[in-house]
Amino acid sequence: MAKIELRNIQKFFGPVQVIKDLNLTIEDGEFVVMLGQSGCGKTTTLRSIAGLESVTSGQIFIDGEEVQDRTASNRDIAFVFQSFSLYPHMTVYENIAFPLRAVGMSKADRDKAVREVAGILKITNLLSRRPSALSGGDMQRVAIGRALVRHPKALLMDEPIGALDAKLREQMRAEIKRLHISRGSTSVYVTHDQIEAMSLADRIVIMHDGILQQIGTPEQVYLQPSNLFVAQFVGSPVMNVAPVTIKSTKDNVTVSVPGATEGFRIPASMLNGAKTSENVSLGIRSEGVELQHRKGKDDISAVTTNIEPLGSHDIVDVKIGDTSLRARTQSGFVKGEGEKVFVRIDPAQAHFFDNNTGLALGSGN
Amino acid sequence: MANISLQGITKRFGGNTALKDLDLEIADGEFFVLLGQTGAGKTTTLRAIAGLEKPDAGRVLIDGQDVTGWNAAARDVALVLQQYSLYPRLTVRGNLEFPLKAKIRRMDKAAIDKRVEDAARVLQITPLLERKVERLSGGEMQRVSIGRAIVREPRVFLMDEPLSALDAKLREALRVELKRLHSELGATFLFVTHDQVEAMSMGDKIGVLNKGHLVQTGTPMEIYERPRNTFVARSVGTPAMNLLAGKLNKGNAEIGDGAITLPVKDRKGAAGQEVIFGIRPENLLLETGAPVEARVFDIEDHGVNKILALDIGRNRLHTVVPGKLKVELDEVVRFGWRPEKVLLFDRQTGENLALAG
Repeated sequence: MAKIELRNIQKFFGPVQVIKDLNLTIEDGEFVVMLGQSGCGKTTTLRSIAGLESVTSGQIFIDGEEVQDRTASNRDIAFVFQSFSLYPHMTVYENIAFPLRAVGMSKADRDKAVREVAGILKITNLLSRRPSALSGGDMQRVAIGRALVRHPKALLMDEPIGALDAKLREQMRAEIKRLHISRGSTSVYVTHDQIEAMSLADRIVIMHDGILQQIGTPEQVYLQPSNLFVAQFVGSPVMNVAPVTIKSTKDNVTVSVPGATEGFRIPASMLNGAKTSENVSLGIRSEGVELQHRKGKDDISAVTTNIEPLGSHDIVDVKIGDTSLRARTQSGFVKGEGEKVFVRIDPAQAHFFDNNTGLALGSGN
Repeated sequence: MANISLQGITKRFGGNTALKDLDLEIADGEFFVLLGQTGAGKTTTLRAIAGLEKPDAGRVLIDGQDVTGWNAAARDVALVLQQYSLYPRLTVRGNLEFPLKAKIRRMDKAAIDKRVEDAARVLQITPLLERKVERLSGGEMQRVSIGRAIVREPRVFLMDEPLSALDAKLREALRVELKRLHSELGATFLFVTHDQVEAMSMGDKIGVLNKGHLVQTGTPMEIYERPRNTFVARSVGTPAMNLLAGKLNKGNAEIGDGAITLPVKDRKGAAGQEVIFGIRPENLLLETGAPVEARVFDIEDHGVNKILALDIGRNRLHTVVPGKLKVELDEVVRFGWRPEKVLLFDRQTGENLALAG
């Protein structure tokens, strides 16, 4: 078990910089998920921790020891890939035992370690089979078993369940999470799937263009995105974002989207410091846009332009001035397109972003 | 503009029957979505309408005219595919003009320009007209390929998974755009997809295909709330409808040797009858004091809500709870369900008992 620290990591592939000044501390026993689109640098970061990639500059510490110049085999870290890479001519038992043979462990100790990890992964009954006789999920269990059997300092996983079907993915995701809870091993997990990241992580590290965008718990990245990229990358449907004009009146503040004749009223204390003169955008998730059939005090009028009936709920687009906002409603709440409705936004769910920097206001940036 | 009618279409590929005696009616101006898995026959259906496949039996009618023997060019339908085959050396304008420049059309330059500019405006790609297509993003390229279909002003638009190659954010935006385009053009759209979210959110009507058979057609909410059988029940909604084998006993559903006993507002089905109970995840309710005890197997976090996988004996159910609810793996929770939302299916045939007979 170990703490992992990355300090000022830079990585170039030829002229292309794929990691830009990355600083990251992963605590002992923590489950960290690195999330981003393809090409964002997440896999390169993971491979750099493992020693499968050398960094151009910067330092990597595992348990306080500087390891960036050590080979992969001298870092005591295990790696699980999306492609299972088992030895086809060996049984499951031999596959799991393989890393122990390399370190010269006695046969009895080896047997004990293999059976322990097989027990945790519930593959004891498969130990005498060959990989070709296993399902995709079982193959990945064996690959994880082989990674864990040495009791490595950390377990690194690169999209380990990306190739499985939806049902098996759910099963394996739950098992990986349980395994982490029972073993307490420091885990770093890479994925492009935000649901996987939200479901597994103690903390999520979001990357884009080689730059770390935000580190936080799933709740933090969803409820308090630190910038526009994170706000619109996490969550479905995509967060509504519109540039706004902010006006203060006697006792309240109104926030108007382009072309709107009325503004949303928001208590001044919930503007996160956004000022009337600033170049600011409003961000609001679809569940923060509330539709009514009758006008309430703070509601502004709008017309529905599109309805996506999803069965359990609807996503309704409303037009206010030149701006379209997506609202999440109960199924069948709005009957059709072209209907007049009244809209308010939940001030507690409103985000404000600086248009020049993209940074969220009031989040300590 | 045109309605489409398929009558008894059968299509075999060697020993494999892709479509079996398929009947399908698409009304003039309708946005019709064919939903099915790989191999269900949806692309074959679309290609039969386009004239790219000749059926072994049956007739294809467009606007009441039997076009079964016509070639693709004569049918006046436009096809948009998942992989946009644009001419990379040409500009966006060049690609949009291309179908109109065929000598057979004898269109003059002014008329071509007008059509191209109208299509570009509708698709919001006017600023891109003079750009080479190789410099466009995926979403822009797909818009250009739709534009190339629009300029021809066809009677029917046939679209084969046009959004599947795009990322989630772009898919979301283009779903809305395609619906807007449909209402602006008023043309008949047939859209083929394996993605139930696309089917539910875009279709006026959905047709669910399974192994070359059309299982059910209906509005999205009909398909969602009154599926004809367990196949349709599973094919729309995320997470999928919970389906549980059990039996009816005095107005109760008994599942897993009495592990679950919950009331049903029973309309059909005899006492003691072995059935499959269907309940959508949002109609399972987590509450302290609710009748059934379950263990949380998995938590899928969507931010706005969480999808829980619950284990009750050998049964696994899914339910949706608000994102703010604090819940842990292996926590023991209690749940009930909305009795009026439970569907009953025949154990043998999978037919919805409320709709059968």
